[in-house]
Amino acid sequence: MKTIPPQCPEPETGPKYWRSLDQLAGTPEFRQWVEREFPAGASEWTDPFSRRNFVKIMSASFLLAGLGATGCRRPVEKIYPFAKMPENYVHGVPQYFATAFPSRRAALPLVVKSSEGRPIKIEGNPDLPGSNGGTDPLAQASLLSLYDPDRAMRCTRNGNGENKTEALDFLSGLSKTAGDGGGLAFLLEQSDSPSRARLQQAIAAKFPAARWHVYEPVALDAGRAAASLAYNRPVEPCYKLDQARVIVSLDCDFIGSEANAYANIRDFAKGRALNGADDAMSRLYAVESLFTLTGLNADHRLRVPPSLVVAVLAKLALHVLGATDMDAKLAELAAPAQAHEAWVAACAKDLAANRGKSLVLGGYRLPLAAHLLVVAINEALGAVGQTVEFHPTAAAKEGTLAELAAALQVGQVQTLVILGGNPAYNAPVDLNWPQAQAKAKTVVRLGYYHDETSWDAATHAATQWDLPMAHYLESWGDARTADGAVVPIQPLIEPLFGGITELEVLALIGGLTPGSPYEIVRETFRGLGGDEENHWRKFLHDGFLAGSAAAAVPVRHDPAELKRAIAGLKAAPAATVASLDVVFYRDAKMDDGRHNNNGWLQELPDPITKLTWDNAVLLSPATAKELGVFTQERLTGQNQKFFNPKVEVTLNGRKITGPVWIQPGMADHTVGLALGYGRDKTGRVGAGTGFNAYKLRASDALYYAWGASVKDTGDKSYELATTQSHWSMEGRPVVREASLEQYRKNPKFAQRMKPADPEDTHGKPIVEPLYPNPLDSAKANGLHQWGMSIDLNRCVGCSACMIACQSENNVPIVGKEMVGKSREMHWIRLDRYYAGPVEDPQAVAQPMLCQHCEAAPCESVCPVNATSHDDEGLNVMTYNRCVGTRYCSNNCPYKVRRFNFFDYNRHPLNHQFLYRSPLVAKTDGEWELLRWLKNPDKGNLPEDEWQLAKLVKNPDVSVRMRGVMEKCSFCLQRIEQAKIAAKVKARDTDHIRLTEKEGTVPKTACQQACPAEAIVFGDMADPASSVSKAKEQERTYKVLEFLLTKPRTTYLARVRNPNPAMPDSKEHPLPYTSEEFNKGPFSPGEGAEEPAEKGAL
Amino acid sequence: MDDHASIKVQAPPVQLERVPLVGNQRGLGWLTDRIAGVIEGETPAWWKMCFAISLTMMTVCFVMILYLMSTGVGVWGLQHPVMWGYAIINFVWWIGIGHAGTLISAILFLLRQKWRTSINRAAEAMTIFAVMCAGIFPLIHIGRIWLGWWLFPIPNSNGIWPQFRSPLMWDVFAVSTYFTVSVLFWYMGLIPDLAVMRDRAKTKIRKIGYGLFALGWTGSNRHWSNYEKAYLILAGLSTPLVLSVHSIVSLDFAVSQLPGWHTTIFPPYFVAGAVYSGFGMVLTLLIPLRRMLKLEDIITVRHVELMCKVTLGVGSIVGYAYAMEFFIAWYSGNPYERFLFLRNRAADPFIIGPMFHVAPAPYWWAFWTMVICNVVVPQFFWFKKVRTSMLTVFALSILVNVGMWFERFVIVITSLHRDFLPSNWGFYAPTWVDILQYLGTFGLFFTFFLLFIRYIPLIAIAEVKGVTPQADPHHPLGGAKVGGQH
Repeated sequence: MKTIPPQCPEPETGPKYWRSLDQLAGTPEFRQWVEREFPAGASEWTDPFSRRNFVKIMSASFLLAGLGATGCRRPVEKIYPFAKMPENYVHGVPQYFATAFPSRRAALPLVVKSSEGRPIKIEGNPDLPGSNGGTDPLAQASLLSLYDPDRAMRCTRNGNGENKTEALDFLSGLSKTAGDGGGLAFLLEQSDSPSRARLQQAIAAKFPAARWHVYEPVALDAGRAAASLAYNRPVEPCYKLDQARVIVSLDCDFIGSEANAYANIRDFAKGRALNGADDAMSRLYAVESLFTLTGLNADHRLRVPPSLVVAVLAKLALHVLGATDMDAKLAELAAPAQAHEAWVAACAKDLAANRGKSLVLGGYRLPLAAHLLVVAINEALGAVGQTVEFHPTAAAKEGTLAELAAALQVGQVQTLVILGGNPAYNAPVDLNWPQAQAKAKTVVRLGYYHDETSWDAATHAATQWDLPMAHYLESWGDARTADGAVVPIQPLIEPLFGGITELEVLALIGGLTPGSPYEIVRETFRGLGGDEENHWRKFLHDGFLAGSAAAAVPVRHDPAELKRAIAGLKAAPAATVASLDVVFYRDAKMDDGRHNNNGWLQELPDPITKLTWDNAVLLSPATAKELGVFTQERLTGQNQKFFNPKVEVTLNGRKITGPVWIQPGMADHTVGLALGYGRDKTGRVGAGTGFNAYKLRASDALYYAWGASVKDTGDKSYELATTQSHWSMEGRPVVREASLEQYRKNPKFAQRMKPADPEDTHGKPIVEPLYPNPLDSAKANGLHQWGMSIDLNRCVGCSACMIACQSENNVPIVGKEMVGKSREMHWIRLDRYYAGPVEDPQAVAQPMLCQHCEAAPCESVCPVNATSHDDEGLNVMTYNRCVGTRYCSNNCPYKVRRFNFFDYNRHPLNHQFLYRSPLVAKTDGEWELLRWLKNPDKGNLPEDEWQLAKLVKNPDVSVRMRGVMEKCSFCLQRIEQAKIAAKVKARDTDHIRLTEKEGTVPKTACQQACPAEAIVFGDMADPASSVSKAKEQERTYKVLEFLLTKPRTTYLARVRNPNPAMPDSKEHPLPYTSEEFNKGPFSPGEGAEEPAEKGAL
Repeated sequence: MDDHASIKVQAPPVQLERVPLVGNQRGLGWLTDRIAGVIEGETPAWWKMCFAISLTMMTVCFVMILYLMSTGVGVWGLQHPVMWGYAIINFVWWIGIGHAGTLISAILFLLRQKWRTSINRAAEAMTIFAVMCAGIFPLIHIGRIWLGWWLFPIPNSNGIWPQFRSPLMWDVFAVSTYFTVSVLFWYMGLIPDLAVMRDRAKTKIRKIGYGLFALGWTGSNRHWSNYEKAYLILAGLSTPLVLSVHSIVSLDFAVSQLPGWHTTIFPPYFVAGAVYSGFGMVLTLLIPLRRMLKLEDIITVRHVELMCKVTLGVGSIVGYAYAMEFFIAWYSGNPYERFLFLRNRAADPFIIGPMFHVAPAPYWWAFWTMVICNVVVPQFFWFKKVRTSMLTVFALSILVNVGMWFERFVIVITSLHRDFLPSNWGFYAPTWVDILQYLGTFGLFFTFFLLFIRYIPLIAIAEVKGVTPQADPHHPLGGAKVGGQH
């Protein structure tokens, strides 16, 4: 990898010299020539193999090489040494910049690592008050989208390439011709950006008649709307999950798909953390239709079809609110949930018993009236001010998409400006959006991809401008976190393809000055943080504006709105096999479809179903049986490839077809449909993944719908790829779990849950190793002894660690077919097991990665010494030495080693040619073997992918070729960097030891990304380190310890906190996993130690 | 010359007389003519046809290797967690087949089993070609084939030295030693016969060709004396190798900690299995050959019967080993091992599964194919009627080979596919490349074997003559008497 210096700033005055031919090529004349060379329609993306597409790719890479990317790469022959070293820049030493990942209304503050001008790793900003540096998978993976070769790269008018300056001229022309703004409409995405709000205001002042509309296909702010109504002022609820002792979630997946999940996880994990048997921990009740991460972490889970969620809520309200004048209506609403009376009553009792320490949460799918009821319940529980606070926020003024569509249909909109979003794909079907959009005379669209909303030959407005949107890592901006703190979005790289930001477009249309995004943000900041340059610099440096977080405001509950809403609420029809309920849900990875072309996310297994590259029609086993689409093979999990029946789902006459996925723990008579798949126009990665559930979604039933029917199509040819086929732990003590009560009685329960040690005739254990531990002598030389502890009680299974690891360690994606063959490459995976009855099981999650065994079975069987141990206890892998016998993987009891079956890093993104021999194939018209010989690094990658693929790689980690085994290294590169830094600092002294106290011990990528702080890594030789302390806890256990592999990764056993008064608790006082263990052959049974506790566990 | 016959030797009573090893009282000259005639006669049509097929299949073998090398190991059906598949199965299978030859030629030689002489040459050739087929797999199964030489202790500037703790390393030495000694032993035994071919040659090319490899053999007393000493030494050297090579191959599995692999019974069990499959293959090859080449008088029904008896013996040892594995799995009390034997192997959907109330094992069919072929089939050899019916023996010998292939399949696949952590569990299925690669090695094997029977005396002429009655001076027909040198 060549070293790339950062871009030198242009002199502000004086003559400008071009430094290279490339820069000369950047003159407008040249750009125009490049773009004008292609005939009309040259930028169409439809046929991936046409000559036109090839020309497009070539032109794109030409642009890339010549025009767009001078900021990050230069041809090697034009690199000169620095005459003057730029300040604070050292070759090879990464730089870190604070920025933020904008996501609807709650930005995620970040620190992004940049290596030689390329952003290469995203990390959470730990400096914000309350933050721990945790992130979520979406933010982690957003890095890959920056280098997506399929992103929109040029401005087009009616599909034809246009010069960017012409596009910008057009926009500024709008500001002169728009008059008072009548006929001008803006369609925006949700955002809390202060700059955008300021520009909106300025434009509204200039064009008072302009229409403003906001559309989010999955809006997560129902809670805000309800609170604002209930309190008669615009407020935003802010939950304090760490303060809550009893939490009830009503179809609210606050751990997974709700807004601000990473912060929820952080707080929830705090409330669940156990440091000893005397610690208290919170209790979570979940009422839900799908099986979600919240359900996985729940102590009591009630599965009900969506038509019953409101009924359960009403029942809960009846118990909690006491006698009110709404009783009759509530009782009517609650009637269908009569079967769950005992459950709800016990739950309500628990809530009431923890007054001021309890909290009820309603999910985004619930209707507004239900949210109002949730507010009332929280009021009644005394939660306000304790476990939930209300922060002032700006009132939403913008109109809805439906209103905009109506205005378009009657011709009230001449110029439509769509900034972000993809309404042509995700608008409710009844709005008929593509046709409505075509009614406008002019459409200006700022989009990150050439997608469904981009110009289309079939349905298009008279004129449509498509502008490439800048990635947030390329653009200036600002945002607010969930608690209102202002955070900057600052670029780490020049826009790779000349992308434009939303702020820029708004400023141009409004004819506002200053118009550059930097100036806009700077200007906004003057209003927020004052004019002083120091404040601005501190803002950029820290990544947030201190003191800008909103403070809680006192609120007075006004039940008027609630009464009105409740009165209008009708009980949903009961779900039956002929009239199924439907849940449309935000996908854990695709979100609403915006991450559809992100390979890391496509390959990230869904936290619960473990499906990759697809969505599916989720059905409960019982419903699948009733519908005749049940497959036994699915249940026994004998195969990684599932050819499940494809079914047709009909809802109000609209139909879609998709493969069935039988999901244990789903509510019966419910169909779960993930949004965000089945895109018509997307990139090479997302093409052909899943089916489009938006096609069923109408304005009146955005999240829940009733009366669907499912019909087997008889087609079983569709394959689903999952990373984990077997559901049950088979009673094995892999994830060890107890109830809180059992844990208090027997704090060492985890150590008892292992197979009985064999004894000799004298009753002595005979599991002593024959030979001394090979690491014992080495330990004396090692300065540190690295180890890891994973707290299963904190881990919620969110999968942020998986993407963080993938990004840090250059782990390739392998494609759906490979995942179907279990050839995925993730170094850390999240195992999810079900226990208990298949209809209503409990689930547990466990991160599994290289355990760094001290007596590693993989090491002794490698014939070429490619995997060996170092003095500090790391099981290290020498990729260059590996010949790929794969014996190490066979001998690894944890099966955490991953093999490069193909040259994944050197194959095209769509992976359809993995099986194609380079001896007989061509890429870009060149014989692949020759291509490979010319540049082995590039391999068979098409030129455009190669140009971008190499940018995302971490230069500190080898990119592995085919035939090589790989695995978790405990982020060895980070350890080495920390050691080097310590040695540099130590100079002549011998203080080179990394200590946690001084903050010199590095964090592994997974640890850093974990919002729950479940993963602790550190030096076991330091008794004061967190990892040493974690390992001293009584819950510590080693997976498969009887093999005497002596893993350095240990786990802290999981504890569930069931309420003994609950009806399900009376039948099953223990977690299902420990019940299974006790009954199964892995239980120590007679003769086990601590007989006093037998039967108890 | 009558005075030579002055000492009268009583012929043994009829009931003590053994069935002669060469039938129909064939004379020595007939033997030479018949065996050399296989080479000297017209090329039979069936040979040409078989050779064409074999050559095609051998081409397939190399095309598959080329495809594999250029594209990646992913073209095979291997997947997490089953990282070894057809390649290792085939490797162990071919190595097992390679056992019979050296066993017959070395151990039976040391045990003075004279019946070995009719079959040892072909069996040894089979051994060599089988080991060649086997040797391909470890080389090509690795991820970076071009670096395979790193497994050999070759001093190099990279400072890479093999790790001698790894059983794969032991394999390298065991197999290469076995191959080398087997080739030497085979070639040693060939020298007198090559000289015969040289002396009978009618064309210059043959004369030079055979002459070159006959190493100037004249049949002098000194030659014979040296030859027999060398033969004895090589037989002594080969004998432990017969036991070691498959023991070490078995250690590839036994050294690991995987249930189903981690078993101390493996070395003897593998050797027994190897001998079993080796004899199975010898029977498969020689029963059609003796018919096609009209060698029924040299490879007699008695030979076949004896081989059947050996097969029965070692087959029963194999069956005992299977039973012992199950016993230990139960007796050890290790639940992981119990799970493996019951639920990955034995549980079928009809009897065992329902009996223990468990779901059928994904590969139950493979396990039961193995049991039927390796435990039930050899028991038929208790019956003389079966042993003497060539067609039946041929059919059963094929089942023996099938069974032994499935034994390796069961060991490799069923142990790996569902091990300790259920989240890892997967399912292995071969791809077309796996299957063609396997079939391709048959092409390689038969190409060599067909060339062997066409160009090299497939029966040790000198040795067979040594076990004829004529060669026994105490036999009424033997010794140097008139008419004795037929």
